[in-house]
Amino acid sequence: MSFFPAAQGTGRRAGPLPIGRPVPLRDADLTRRDRLARWGLLLAAAIPTAMLLLIAALMVAQSVPAFRYAGWGFFTGRVFSFGNLYVTKLQVQNGVPAPHGATYGAFTFIFGTLVSSVIALLVALPLAVGAVLALTERVPTRLQSTVSIFFELLAGIPSVVYGFWGILVLGPLLAAHLYPVLGRLGALVPFFRGSVGYGEGLLTASLILTLMIVPIIATTTRELVRGVPILAKEGALALGMTRYETARVVTLPYVRRGIWAAALLGWARALGETMAVLLVSGNLLNGLPANIFSPFSTMAATIVAMLDSALTDATGMAVHALAALGVVLLVITVATNLLGRLIIRRVAGGAVLPVGRGI
Amino acid sequence: MSLTGTPRPAADAAVAVAVSGLSVRIASREILRGISAGFARGRVTAVIGPTGCGKTTLLRSLNRLNDQRPGMRVEGEILLEGQSVYGRGRDVRDLRRRIGMLFQRPNPFPQSIRENVALGARVHGLWRREEVDRRVEELLRRVGLWDAVHDRLGSSPFALSGGQQQLLCMARALAVDPQVLLLDEPTSALDPHSTARIEELIGSLRERITVVFVTHNLQQAARCADEVLFLLAGEVVEQAPVGDFFQRPADLRSRAYIEGKPV
Repeated sequence: MSFFPAAQGTGRRAGPLPIGRPVPLRDADLTRRDRLARWGLLLAAAIPTAMLLLIAALMVAQSVPAFRYAGWGFFTGRVFSFGNLYVTKLQVQNGVPAPHGATYGAFTFIFGTLVSSVIALLVALPLAVGAVLALTERVPTRLQSTVSIFFELLAGIPSVVYGFWGILVLGPLLAAHLYPVLGRLGALVPFFRGSVGYGEGLLTASLILTLMIVPIIATTTRELVRGVPILAKEGALALGMTRYETARVVTLPYVRRGIWAAALLGWARALGETMAVLLVSGNLLNGLPANIFSPFSTMAATIVAMLDSALTDATGMAVHALAALGVVLLVITVATNLLGRLIIRRVAGGAVLPVGRGI
Repeated sequence: MSLTGTPRPAADAAVAVAVSGLSVRIASREILRGISAGFARGRVTAVIGPTGCGKTTLLRSLNRLNDQRPGMRVEGEILLEGQSVYGRGRDVRDLRRRIGMLFQRPNPFPQSIRENVALGARVHGLWRREEVDRRVEELLRRVGLWDAVHDRLGSSPFALSGGQQQLLCMARALAVDPQVLLLDEPTSALDPHSTARIEELIGSLRERITVVFVTHNLQQAARCADEVLFLLAGEVVEQAPVGDFFQRPADLRSRAYIEGKPV
């Protein structure tokens, strides 16, 4: 393959290379293998795009009847019930029939998904960044790779194991020792007021999510920190700064934008996490959690928990309602992703400093 | 880490940094072999020699920037104003504040232009905003960068040219009021104009700061330095006043090097 047609065919270079004038790549210059590669790559790029569009389209199509039935109440209502699936009496609302007593209000699940994932992110971000700085600055170089293997292993544990461990070990442990202490904050923060429960609820789920996303944020951050030019750090060390000061003044600003991206990756994982949350959430269906310790549910967990009974609904509305939950989850995930990218671009383009550039 | 038996450096009143019997090895490779040299107070000493002769290692031994390298061993003695650099209980942070450094390529912090200089000012206990501002302005004027950056002190240093970035690093290094300034080929990545500016600055530091200046450029050494230290394969070949070195080199190898012949 040649980008310079003049050199082709003759076997030797005819004159100097055309430097000033770029030579367009013509079809005729491509070999058969080039053409094959081009179509192959095009296909490889098209498949994920098509998959996303197909999934979104099918989910939306499935969800439309539920949205029509519930109207805006889908987003504001706090009661989510399939109605009486044992009698044939129907209830028609906005021209859509559903089992008697069916109410599809998803606010509690939207709230649960957002709040649990945000708490997880708020705890996980400083934990992950701190762990990476401790690893890269404190742990001897020859031990670093051994220690980082544990981060990667942590990321590979199946979520059901996290959930199982959470419900059997972590939840009761936290409820017995940590939550009573946190409960004293109730005097200041209303969300901490009231019963601390038995370890199944919002905070336990958030902390399990924290454990699951720390490795994601940490491994990404570790790669970023390793990429910081040594020359930049030495500038700080040569000025008599400590390793901590060097991290604050040089390393962290260098990787700031990347950490935002890592946090988004972690958040996306927390938003969609299903099994672990379902196991430790306490699965409260109708109503908001009374405080940070009490049972709640998320969109993803509810879809799994209720799909079985939804399939027994002869009108099909229950499945439509769960599909509607799926669409909302999809939209929130895509929206947070786009929002994150916007933030990253503003961070990059505004008065804040560029990262990883300039040396 | 003084080795018993090595001669104590001569207590020469004019010498700010005295190196005696300095050997540095990394793993099994011996980079410096029994270096002895003195860097005269308030003078500019150019350290020259072919690539790989240990110039940078010598420089980085002076402010202990090589300490973190795995497998690194230092023997011999370095005295800064009579006090051992590698001595037990030596505060490395304090040492590095007495010894500023400029690197081969500019390495401003990813902070605002103002903050790059202000960080050094705060080391000196300046915390009040007006005091810091005054100090920042003073330093930026001293390196000749004030007119170019006074209206964008809050913005990124990475938008500056390479030469301006290096001048900013110079202001940063001077902010801690160092006794010694180490320059590791500071102009190797710069255009001729910025190079001239840096050389001019080095000249202006004379008498106030002891400058140790690693360079590949013999003309630059001849222009800027008072003394020349010529290293070859980790050993000192010759240390002499700049005029003597270039006109009447005492060693044949020095003469060959100056004339661009293989040494």
